[in-house]
Amino acid sequence: MTLELQATPEEVMRAVETLQAMGEERDLPVKTLFGLTLALEECASNIVNHALNRDACRTFSVDLELTENQAIIELRDSGPEHDPTLAPDREPSADDDDEPPGGWGIQLVRRYTDEMLYSRTADENVLRLTKRLDPK
Amino acid sequence: MIYFQLETTEPHTTMPLEINIKKNPGTLEAGAVTITLAGSLDTSTAPALEQKITPILNSEVKDLVFDLVGLKFISSAGLRVFSIARKKLKEHGGQAGFINLQPQIEEVFEIMKALPGIAVFQSEAEMDQYLAARQKSYEGS
Repeated sequence: MTLELQATPEEVMRAVETLQAMGEERDLPVKTLFGLTLALEECASNIVNHALNRDACRTFSVDLELTENQAIIELRDSGPEHDPTLAPDREPSADDDDEPPGGWGIQLVRRYTDEMLYSRTADENVLRLTKRLDPK
Repeated sequence: MIYFQLETTEPHTTMPLEINIKKNPGTLEAGAVTITLAGSLDTSTAPALEQKITPILNSEVKDLVFDLVGLKFISSAGLRVFSIARKKLKEHGGQAGFINLQPQIEEVFEIMKALPGIAVFQSEAEMDQYLAARQKSYEGS
C-alpha cells in the first residue's frame, strides 16, 4: 500500500495508524508491530521536520508491505540529500544529558528493524526499512 | 491546593493523548504532581504535553511523576518532553519519576537508557514511599 502524505505530524500518524491496522490484520505480535510503527514514526517525522520543514504543501510517500516473511517500509521525499544511515551508531549512556548526534530516533530505528538502506534516486531520498517476520 | 485537569488532544487521529494532571492532596506547594498519560505520545501529540507541563516546570514543584498506565505508544518526540522535564526539575533540585510502564514502553526506556536521573517505580507503594521521603527532606531543609 502506498500513501501520499503531506509534511505534517498528523499525516505521519496517519501512516502509523495504517501500518498498525495492517499489522493487526496480519496478526503480528504486539512487540513486533510496536517496533515497526515506532520505526515508521521516527523516519517519517525526520522527513517532515527536517527534509520538508513541516511545509504542508509538500508531500512525501510511504510504501508499506507485509509479506509472509518480512515487513518493508519505504519512504521517499524530495528534500535535500540526507542519508540517515550515516548517523553514528552509539550506545546511549546513562551519562547522556543531551540528545545524541543524529537524534534518539535513529537509534530506535536501528534497534527495531533488521536492515536500513538509503539511496538517492531521481532527486529523492529513498529509505527502505526491513524487518524479518516469523511465518504464520 | 489540589488541582485536577483532564485534556485530550484534538481528535484528528485515532491515536490521541489523554493528559490528566493532579496535584497530590496534602502535599506542600513544592510537593509532587502526578501526570497520567493515556494513548499515544508521538510527534503529533508531544507538543500538547510540553505545553501542559511547562507552567508546572516553571513553578515550585519539585517532583513530577508520570503515570504511564494507559500509554500505548511513545517515540523520541515523547522522550524529548520527558528529558526537558527532567532537566528543568533538576535545575531546582527536583526529579522526574515514572510508574506503570507498559512492556513496550519500558523496552524503549531500556534501549535509550532513557533519561538518566529518573526514578522508575514498580508499584504505587514504592512511589508513595519515595515521595514521602522526598517530602520529609523538603520539610527538613
